[in-house]
Amino acid sequence: MIFRATFVISSEPRLLPALRGAMEQITAVFGWNQTDCRAIALALQEALTNKIRHAYHNRPDGVITMEIQARENDMEFRLTDQGDPPDPGKICARAAGSLTPGGLGTHIIRDVMDSVFYSSSAEGNHVVLIRRFPEARI
Amino acid sequence: MNTLVRTTGQTRIVDLDGDVDLTSSPELRETLFEGLREAPRVALNLGTIRYIDSSGIAVLLETLREAQRLNRTFVLFGMNPSVHEVFKLTHVTRIFQIAETEEQALAIP
Repeated sequence: MIFRATFVISSEPRLLPALRGAMEQITAVFGWNQTDCRAIALALQEALTNKIRHAYHNRPDGVITMEIQARENDMEFRLTDQGDPPDPGKICARAAGSLTPGGLGTHIIRDVMDSVFYSSSAEGNHVVLIRRFPEARI
Repeated sequence: MNTLVRTTGQTRIVDLDGDVDLTSSPELRETLFEGLREAPRVALNLGTIRYIDSSGIAVLLETLREAQRLNRTFVLFGMNPSVHEVFKLTHVTRIFQIAETEEQALAIP
């Protein structure tokens, strides 16, 4: 199935539940079960939350673009912001069993997605998240 | 997110309803920390929350650390499958004391 979609949203956390609902419905169309749909939507919300917190420092007037593309074996989610670039040294998952709250979102993103890439260009800061379709993961 | 706070014996019980996310987690933190200041035990009912993200899990971890610092007890109960899935994804399931029911939560010493 050929599918492309682009969402452009402001960095307002109150908008995230609406986008999460849309992501759950879009991923369901591609055959993921309800648990996987929720997990993918959660991972995307975590990536968006990271941009709101770290790129825009909780300012609601930033812009985040999310481009979605279904390919032959996977779905790619590309998120772009024009805020501060991420510090690669601070993108880390927390240690298992740790009581430290930081890094939880990164843990979720890495567990749910098959691949995650971070980059920066003149267009902004990008994070690309890729999840293979259910049959491609077997 | 809506919270209902009630007290049973020595335990402050917090019932949560709705979504726990970046917007609502500061309010949850305030409620739980207030509970720890005012009662020796705090039990959090997760049975009717629809959604929790990493900011919500982070508040629970902060609350557990505060409970340990104050020598208080912090327990969770009524976890539904979607919340349990987030706990598994964040690898925190074994960190917390988790009961199935309110009665079991109240029985934890």
